Amino acid sequence: MPTSLMAIDWGVIVILLPLSGGIVCVLWPAMSKPAGLITVIGVALAVAGLGWRIMENGAYRHAVGGWGAPLGIDLFADGLSLVMLVMTALVGLGISFYAKRYFSPRDAIRFWPIWLFLLAALNALFLSADIFNLYVTLEIIGLAAVALTALTGRIDALGGAMRYLLATLLGSLAYLLGVALLYHDAGSVDIATLAQRIEPNATVWAALGLMSTGLALKTALFPLSFWLPSAHASAPVPVSALLSALVVKTSFYILLRLWLEIFGAFAEGFSMLLGLLGAAAILWGSLQALRQTRIKLLVAYSTVAQIGYLFLIYPLASANNAMTAGIAAYLAFSHALAKSAMFLAAGNLMRFGGHDRIADLDRAVQRLPLTVAAFALAGVSIMGLPPSSGFVGKWLLLDAAISQGRWDLAAVMIIGGLLAAGYVFKVLGYAFTQAEAPHDAQAVPAGMQWAALLLAIGAILLGFMAPQIFALIHPDLTASADGAGTVWTA
Amino acid sequence: MTNAFLYALAGGGLFTLGLHALVVHAHLLRKILAVNIMGSGVFLVLVALARRSGETASDPVPHAMVITGIVVTVSATALALALMLKLAGKSGHTVLPDKHSD
Amino acid sequence: MLEWIFDTVLGLSLLWLAWRALNSPDLFKAIVLFISFGLLMALIWVRLNAPDVALAEAAIGAGLTGALLLAALARLRIMTDRNVSGASTHLAHPASPAQPPAGSRFSCGMLILLLPASAAGISYAVWTLPSDSSGLSLDVAENLGSSGVSNPVTAVLLNFRGYDTMLEMIVLLLAVLGIWSLGGLSPRPERPAAAVLETLSRFLTPVFILAAGYLLWVGADAPGGAFQAGSVLGAAGVLLLLSGWHPRARFMQWPLRLALTAGAGAFILLGLLTLLFEKQLLAYPVAQAGRMILLLESLATVSIAVTLAVLFLEVSSDHKEKVKKGEKE
Repeated sequence: MPTSLMAIDWGVIVILLPLSGGIVCVLWPAMSKPAGLITVIGVALAVAGLGWRIMENGAYRHAVGGWGAPLGIDLFADGLSLVMLVMTALVGLGISFYAKRYFSPRDAIRFWPIWLFLLAALNALFLSADIFNLYVTLEIIGLAAVALTALTGRIDALGGAMRYLLATLLGSLAYLLGVALLYHDAGSVDIATLAQRIEPNATVWAALGLMSTGLALKTALFPLSFWLPSAHASAPVPVSALLSALVVKTSFYILLRLWLEIFGAFAEGFSMLLGLLGAAAILWGSLQALRQTRIKLLVAYSTVAQIGYLFLIYPLASANNAMTAGIAAYLAFSHALAKSAMFLAAGNLMRFGGHDRIADLDRAVQRLPLTVAAFALAGVSIMGLPPSSGFVGKWLLLDAAISQGRWDLAAVMIIGGLLAAGYVFKVLGYAFTQAEAPHDAQAVPAGMQWAALLLAIGAILLGFMAPQIFALIHPDLTASADGAGTVWTA
Repeated sequence: MTNAFLYALAGGGLFTLGLHALVVHAHLLRKILAVNIMGSGVFLVLVALARRSGETASDPVPHAMVITGIVVTVSATALALALMLKLAGKSGHTVLPDKHSD
Repeated sequence: MLEWIFDTVLGLSLLWLAWRALNSPDLFKAIVLFISFGLLMALIWVRLNAPDVALAEAAIGAGLTGALLLAALARLRIMTDRNVSGASTHLAHPASPAQPPAGSRFSCGMLILLLPASAAGISYAVWTLPSDSSGLSLDVAENLGSSGVSNPVTAVLLNFRGYDTMLEMIVLLLAVLGIWSLGGLSPRPERPAAAVLETLSRFLTPVFILAAGYLLWVGADAPGGAFQAGSVLGAAGVLLLLSGWHPRARFMQWPLRLALTAGAGAFILLGLLTLLFEKQLLAYPVAQAGRMILLLESLATVSIAVTLAVLFLEVSSDHKEKVKKGEKE
């Protein structure tokens, strides 16, 4: 890549571009859809540029305002941030193309500016190295997500959005109180500076507890997941995909980053608690998903369960930070692709039949083959069947659990996989059967079907790209594509 | 300047009072009030401790953070109130509707 | 010693006001108590040597938030009056403040355990903080000279941590976009304002505008700045709206949206320019820093004012679908 192109500060572009796009949409509502699509494509290209730059020059750091931490705010991107940015860009691209056909013109004008600001905030969050800046980005994401959830104006969406808003505000305030304590203890809000200065004392423990609780609430870790199913299920379909695939990953990312940089060294007991809650989430979420009769609620509860897998990383974390980051990023990426595909496919099925009852999916496999294939492939990844990325991620976790003697966690993972198979095949099974009262079918635009399918295929393809993803996180990491036991060496 | 600690403790107290009200009260307007009071509590912790060594001028960074926080809170409050009004208009109640039947 | 007593009284009053506001059976009383709470907070900010925060708290935290809450309560009462079916008799007059939903006895129990524990934990964490720590104030003092302003809070907000302020402008914009995307609320008949209010607003509005201009200008060297000026100007807008002023429909689309996005847009534009010419986002050349900050603050003031007024407009009045009222400052 020519050096002039590489010298461009792609990290800043990745944030400024969607911000500009959002402002354009506000000023010229009629141009919302084209402006939105161009912006999302541009962001994907900028992320690619940033990726090249990181691979050539190492981690990216940009001192905003020229001041540098701890006085100013730093933008920072290493392999972990990069994978999250790539996840956001690709999944965002797929969902944008789906949304292009999904929304009515009136709703589209409302959707696009808010989505672009959400995208900007997602990127800003993954690039931020400052815990107060992270608070501001969390607030943008929260308000945007709530506004998008309530877009349909239906009463269940309004209720889900209200509950979501209150939960996310509570989470942010707990997080901010933690930030306050850390600042007054160590005199900085820059993560790198804090990592050097923080010693475990009562204040730091309190901050850890507050921030973890707040972020766990925002990530919907069981038992703080009460708000997620109603919010994700009642939102418009593309928004559900955004929420489950991207938004819940943001607070998880922050918690991980704080863990890796600051807290991990001395918070062993706490990681056991997180693992325990993660295991509970897997069991509870999967069981609830199995019980659902409506498809979006099923997929939403599946999200609760899959988030549990993410939190199993904490007790199983090796001393190798890079490996922990690698598995977390990979699992998050895999879930984002699979879950967004699942929601979009569910949306297609709902648009097709005009209802969301699983039992009445009338021979959808014949009439919407692309969509059912998308759901099936996404389901394969969620279940953790080879050769999907879900399999690779879960195998890595399982391998770690077994090699560390954590048979309890291994058992939970296997049960979780079986339950996931249960609820995925429940949907697929009904897609093959004839409903009791056949419904009239409504056409589903090809763009929407292909968006879902391509995201699902992405989830499978990612399984073959595990070595590349791990190489992005850290050049010394090796991971074999079939997940054999060598992965824990670095 | 240990007086600062008085206010910081008051901030913690506000945070707890607000949390209690947020969970216990069902009326949405009260929940919104509770969130505001919790926010004020956090801001108090931020600013109260910004001048602990009594001689030097106050640390301006927490002040800037709190101003940012106040603006964020009013934005969230406005959105929450609008949601509540819409919900009340459609459902006739100002409490969170029951979650989906499951 | 006297200081101790004074501070203790202030602190306890604050907690008592908060408790009363949260648990008062009448919602109107609760909101008024909340406004008093906000004003007491402003007093405490002054006591804690944070005049910029005091200005912002009084104008936004107590004033505008109070106005929003009262407006929302008024609309709830109107909805109650209109709905005779009886189902919504408790819209604005809840029967009892605490109604834990059935089945959450467990969470109530957890709360009773958790709250005192967390209060104790937070108190202990605060108590054990080192009693002398300068935070970042030394770094700020060192670089204040090259920041372009001499008010350290303005320097932090607009220069050292200007990136946060840029994002904050987006938060304000999102609140408006979010409310707009909820669509129209049901129509309410307009009532002409009382004569006293009308006259008062006619006298006060120029004073507000002057005060806002002063706060903006003086913010570079003394307490003040874009947020304080913007909120005073926004309050002028609220006063005008309350006195029955109808923004002309001519200003609905373009000018309003321009005013709303001016602040964020200025930041983004400046960000792109500085990226191009200075190679760092939002890095002002030292000689121009003061002027750039003034420019950013002026546009931000307009945006903040218009945003706050529009937020009040949306929460308090109604518009039919597809018609958006404009607002000009």
